[in-house]
Amino acid sequence: MAGNFWQSSHFQQWLLDRQDLQRERHSDLQVLTEEEYQKLMIYFSNFIQALGEQLKVKQQVIATATVYFKRFYVRNSLKCIDPLLMAPTCIFLASKVEEFGVISNSRLISTCQTVVKNKFSYAYPQEFPYRISHVLECEFFLLEMMDCCLVLYHAYRPLVQYVHDIGPEDNLLHMAWKVVNDSLRTDVCLLYPPHQIALACLHMACVILQKDYKHWFAELNVDMEKILEITRQILNLYDLWKNFDEKKEIPALLAKMPKPKAQPSRPPSQGAGSSQNDPTSQTASSQSS
Amino acid sequence: MNTSTSTNVSSSSVSHAQQVMNKLEDFDFPYCDEVTKYEKLAKIGQGTFGEVFKAKHRQTKKVVALKKVLMENEKEGFPITALREIKILQLLNHENVVNLIEICRTKATPFNRYKATFYLVFDFCEHDLAGLLSNVNVKFSLGEIKKVMQQLLNGLYFIHSNKILHRDMKAANILITKNGVLKLADFGLARAFSISKTSQPNRYTNRVVTLWYRPPELLLGERNYGPPVDMWGAGCIMAEMWTRSPIMQGSTEQHQLTLISQLCGSISPETWPGVEKLEFYNKLDLPKGQKRKVKERLRAYVKDPYALDLLDKLLTLDPNKRIDSDNALNHDFFWTDPMPCELAKMLSQHTQSMFEYLAPPRRRVVQQPHAGQPGHQKGMQPSAADGQYHDRVF
Repeated sequence: MAGNFWQSSHFQQWLLDRQDLQRERHSDLQVLTEEEYQKLMIYFSNFIQALGEQLKVKQQVIATATVYFKRFYVRNSLKCIDPLLMAPTCIFLASKVEEFGVISNSRLISTCQTVVKNKFSYAYPQEFPYRISHVLECEFFLLEMMDCCLVLYHAYRPLVQYVHDIGPEDNLLHMAWKVVNDSLRTDVCLLYPPHQIALACLHMACVILQKDYKHWFAELNVDMEKILEITRQILNLYDLWKNFDEKKEIPALLAKMPKPKAQPSRPPSQGAGSSQNDPTSQTASSQSS
Repeated sequence: MNTSTSTNVSSSSVSHAQQVMNKLEDFDFPYCDEVTKYEKLAKIGQGTFGEVFKAKHRQTKKVVALKKVLMENEKEGFPITALREIKILQLLNHENVVNLIEICRTKATPFNRYKATFYLVFDFCEHDLAGLLSNVNVKFSLGEIKKVMQQLLNGLYFIHSNKILHRDMKAANILITKNGVLKLADFGLARAFSISKTSQPNRYTNRVVTLWYRPPELLLGERNYGPPVDMWGAGCIMAEMWTRSPIMQGSTEQHQLTLISQLCGSISPETWPGVEKLEFYNKLDLPKGQKRKVKERLRAYVKDPYALDLLDKLLTLDPNKRIDSDNALNHDFFWTDPMPCELAKMLSQHTQSMFEYLAPPRRRVVQQPHAGQPGHQKGMQPSAADGQYHDRVF
């Protein structure tokens, strides 16, 4: 299914500008600094990535899930729905939309439990507190908030076309592909059309691999200013990421993050003490059986 | 969620969910309007995944069709078929494809367990082809039949070039506006397809398409199929323009294949190379020694030689040899006199909506006496039932 980006809801409804982002995030930015907000977004993108890899879905599903996640929180405060619940919900929906099939309920929840336990226990010392009913309910809110705009255009497809045009350059494609993956941790997917993101990532890959394709870029009929803007944002991400010690910083950030008024009996981020008598963990384990 | 697990949920976690939902109830959903902005007028159909209503916008008075999304399998969450239909219709924008206006929802309240219902909102079309064909008072001239088929093939050409398979071609899913514009509808079974690599064939479900319109490759278990599945349906529908009822009304898959063999000739590797590799080829009982009689059997109803030739090419057993939509549109049928002509004038004589859903059952009645004898059983001599009036929507 190809479709036309310029007629899509992605282009017509979901390309925002900086001011939109600032305005929509205003209430969260009263509590968090811009940098803290970005760090939380990186953290949850990593969580979605880890879930997706554990579930063995293709990268396209992970990318779509990440953008859904960003779309939801660009329209809503972090306190509306716990991002720990929104992340698996985005994977669940994206897997259906990208024709990867329905992820079984027990598998989704047990994967969340495994990933939280093995990779994110420094932030969530207790078991993953949500059940499938929460995910299914959350899916409704996600769909509504996105106005059922499901089809996304990622930078991967134009990237492959550009590299094909340049010539046989497997290394270049590989490197640029990784930069596109990383770009999902920035806001560029909310701000720029996919072909511009692809070009920026391709350009960065050329610089990293010291390949000179100046003449190829020179012949493009694109707004190079935009490409440079995207490049700057991805470079900023790398700067931020380099100095981001997740293990040390995240527990404090999660504690500071605006949260729903209602929390599971023991908020995971502040959870202390034994989980053995924790009723939510019992429920969670009964789900996976 | 199934109820048995929810009973052993701790009270604290229930109350948590409850509180989250209470919070969400206060949400304002600026991006998905409430369905109450439309007033339901009548139920007009039953789609693959829900009921269809005729409704009117309370302010603008615009008439629309509301299709309710049924949440049958709760484990699946929002149904994948509904996601496909939304996704595909948002992508497809064409004169001959039904237009999705928006998606609406009901408000989440304690009464529906905070579960909103979604509705797809479509431009309203006055008729469906099955409804029109079941009314003997509706008479199509050859030029008008050409116009119907031309629009149908145009729609198929568009969706196929966008890499979409409809997978539920049948007269009831072909809508026609009172101005005579044809719209392919009900994309509840549709999906995107890709041209498979030889090393890795596609594995799509073959349990699609209403039995009477299902092509032989699906009946034989093919899972790596493509646009020709819709072209077979187009052929069945084209024949129906003259016979006025579906031409092959099988009662089981086996029976359907028998009917197909009796019309299109025996299914064998000679006429269809590779058919022997299909899963059910050896498991089903395929009639042998049948001659192909598409033209001679349909000649009783279809006088136009070009029409017969196109029908013959659409109802080709081997999907690889079946005509595609592009070549069908270039067929002489559409480019010889009488040329395709607008339907608006003929339809203007019928001021009432005709939908299959509202029409009296016409088909099985005619079929039963001749169950084993396809071709002779069609509603060629309209029975009393065929001439009856339909419930009216207006």
